Amino acid sequence: MSSTAIYPAHPENILKGLGKLWTSLGQEESHQGKPTVMRACAMTLIVATDEPDCGFLASQIISELMREHPSRGIVLAIDKSAENSLEARVLAQCWKPFGKAQQICCEQIEILSSPDYWPNVGPTLVGLTVADLPVMFWCRHKGALNVAATEDQNAGLEVILDLSSKVIIDTEGDDPASAFALISRLRREGRNLADLEWARLTFWREAFAQIFDNSARTNRFSDFHTIEILHAGDKLTPSAAYAAGWFASVGKAKISIKGTKGFGPGLHSIRMISDNETITFERTGTECARLSSTNGRSRSYSYSQPALYSLLHQELSILGADRAFNVAFSRAGEFVR
Amino acid sequence: MSAAVIPSTEENVLQDPLRFERRVPPCAIVIFGASGDLSKRKLLPSLYRLFFERRISTEFAVIGSSRTPMSDDQFRERMRDSVSKFLEDAPFDEDVWRSFAQCLFYVPGDLSNPESYDEIRNKLDQVEKSHQTAGNVLFYLSTQPSYYAEAIQALGEHGLTKGNGWRRVIIEKPFGHDLESARKLNLEIHKVLDESAIYRIDHYLGKETVQNILAFRFGNGIFEPLWNRRYISFIQITAAESIGVEGRGGYYQEAGALRDMIQNHLSQVMATVAMEPPSVFDANSVRDERAKLLRSVRVIKPDDVPTYAVAGQYGPAKVGGQDIPGFRQEPSVNPEAQTDTYAAVTFFIDNWRWAGVPIYIRSGKRMPKRVTDIAIQFHAPPLGLFTQETKSGPREARPNLLVLRIQPEEGISLRFLSKSPGSGMRVRPVSMDFNYGSSFGERSPTAYETLLLDAMNGDPTLYTRQDMVDASWQIVQPILDVWAHTKFDFPNYPAGSWGPKAADEMLARQGHVWRIP
Repeated sequence: MSSTAIYPAHPENILKGLGKLWTSLGQEESHQGKPTVMRACAMTLIVATDEPDCGFLASQIISELMREHPSRGIVLAIDKSAENSLEARVLAQCWKPFGKAQQICCEQIEILSSPDYWPNVGPTLVGLTVADLPVMFWCRHKGALNVAATEDQNAGLEVILDLSSKVIIDTEGDDPASAFALISRLRREGRNLADLEWARLTFWREAFAQIFDNSARTNRFSDFHTIEILHAGDKLTPSAAYAAGWFASVGKAKISIKGTKGFGPGLHSIRMISDNETITFERTGTECARLSSTNGRSRSYSYSQPALYSLLHQELSILGADRAFNVAFSRAGEFVR
Repeated sequence: MSAAVIPSTEENVLQDPLRFERRVPPCAIVIFGASGDLSKRKLLPSLYRLFFERRISTEFAVIGSSRTPMSDDQFRERMRDSVSKFLEDAPFDEDVWRSFAQCLFYVPGDLSNPESYDEIRNKLDQVEKSHQTAGNVLFYLSTQPSYYAEAIQALGEHGLTKGNGWRRVIIEKPFGHDLESARKLNLEIHKVLDESAIYRIDHYLGKETVQNILAFRFGNGIFEPLWNRRYISFIQITAAESIGVEGRGGYYQEAGALRDMIQNHLSQVMATVAMEPPSVFDANSVRDERAKLLRSVRVIKPDDVPTYAVAGQYGPAKVGGQDIPGFRQEPSVNPEAQTDTYAAVTFFIDNWRWAGVPIYIRSGKRMPKRVTDIAIQFHAPPLGLFTQETKSGPREARPNLLVLRIQPEEGISLRFLSKSPGSGMRVRPVSMDFNYGSSFGERSPTAYETLLLDAMNGDPTLYTRQDMVDASWQIVQPILDVWAHTKFDFPNYPAGSWGPKAADEMLARQGHVWRIP
């Protein structure tokens, strides 16, 4: 990974910086007359963050994602200690596929803005997206997503939202009522929205779906008249509401949500009850879960909180509308009121 | 690969195909010929990889069978060595192997010995309980082709083709030695199995890049309007190998390039490139179109075979400082062998889309490099305004060439003319490239991973159907018949070259030349 700092961060300067970076990479590496570096790009991936690490975590996750989602990664971070400054750095993330001689490289732009420059980052980004390819926006800027966001914060965000083919947020730990209000607003504005908190449910949803893959249970989901969802802690979590919304969207069972002192964060267990059988999927430790049925069968799973990387991988793999999420979200609100 | 998985999704309201991995139903796989090369190099590494990626259910077992006496543990140990050695583009994980190995079993036996089938049935009953395979069984015939009919008949006689779950049989190529034997084999197999249970494998169709031909043609709007005789001058399909017969001299001597490559793999590739769009993307619609295309290929008359088909055999040469033996000097090969290690054929498709467009197919061993690609040569513009710069001086040519690269550098490139920098209107060809590796960072599944998964899922889209096999034999049979009665002056090309001169002359008669891939 090599990098070049660019100041001031005008789009033209940044693009020139990228051009120089590729030229130098091409000159550094050559093998038997063949270029050993290949440039890969399938999308623009923008991450905006107001975390105090100046975008370090976001940068790290982008570099992990590059193999499966080669992109022009743009990390937009705020340096709260800086004043009147907007600077950028361009770098290449490279890797060598197993057994191949040629390196594949993706370009990355890191832009560090002082809070007062934040409203100007939007116009900078407009010139930096890759033409004709999707723009994915992962918004980790909690301040700008907040209902109490200032006009300046909103101004920076609006331009990026308008550029984006898909907007990814994360409501983990948020109050479901305000989180869902934000999602509703963004959906009303016509944004294609994804929530990593929904992606955290994939492990749970897949385990339940597999139960009904068994030919003996085909079309038997409707036999289950009661579904009990337990989340860790007293406070209702968005994931519990999503789970309830999902079950409500595919059946007519009576669904309840309760808090418990079980393993968390997020969901602790889901129980499905029919006249003949009760199926429980619950976390039995910090790193394990068990699926059991009153018919005597049970199976253990290793469970780990999904890493941000894997959640984003899920979301970046879905470019269009996510029907299951949309339908579940439209029902999830019923469990938040 | 296709819509065949959709019904189960519709039945299960909790399924989310956008996010959940496609999983196969519980099943046992019985591999006949489990100590052979194919099992070691392809089948077990593919199954291990699918297990590693959690694409196959934990309710799964593999029962290997062959004549070599071995215990379960010895089989596991052997397969461990093979998988770690032959795993493609992926690291070997010891922990995953230990779990996978628990699903491996071995039954020593001879296909001609009835007791072997009883032992296999006992083992299947055992794994149905211990590994909850639900009575689903996939048999894989990775044996000598002469055993296919006998083995399937025996499976039927021993009640192995019926059970609690589904039963399917994968049959490796070659499917028959000629048209007559292929038809006879089909008849024998159909006495025991319904066509829907027969999966004739052609691993070329499982390659991602071959599947991508369909996506490229029918997923885009800009190419299909050009995909016909009005815009395409000719098509060249090349499958070149740099290696020789690699210890398979005995087998290859009886097969030859026309049977080994063109009758099956390359004719299926031709069908994929030239077929009409199916009305829906499901197994039978796609296979109907492939079969229809193959039936439209003009059958070459015996008298025309020398004009439209060329046989070649490599002779000794020094390549890269090494002495390479000729085919006749390879072990187990008859020093007078008349085998074609190279074959080139000009096919014509007699339908409205392709009338008059030659499709040149060539395949050979000991060529300068390993490459498989399809080159689609478009007509020149109606008026040549510019002079093209080439190494051999200015010339006007057909500049537009679309190359679909199957292996090793999977991708697509389009050649077109561009103005050379500087004064004057001089043009030269440039290339626009799409490379699979750089656009999709994810590792592509190998052909056998794809095809095994499809067979377990009951999706035959990428498998060849009886009528497709029949049609592809029909188009090569007249050539085989003529060659069988011809005394060739072999060898006629040196190892490390692009084939015999006669192949160049075949194209020259049409005003074309072979491209160098």
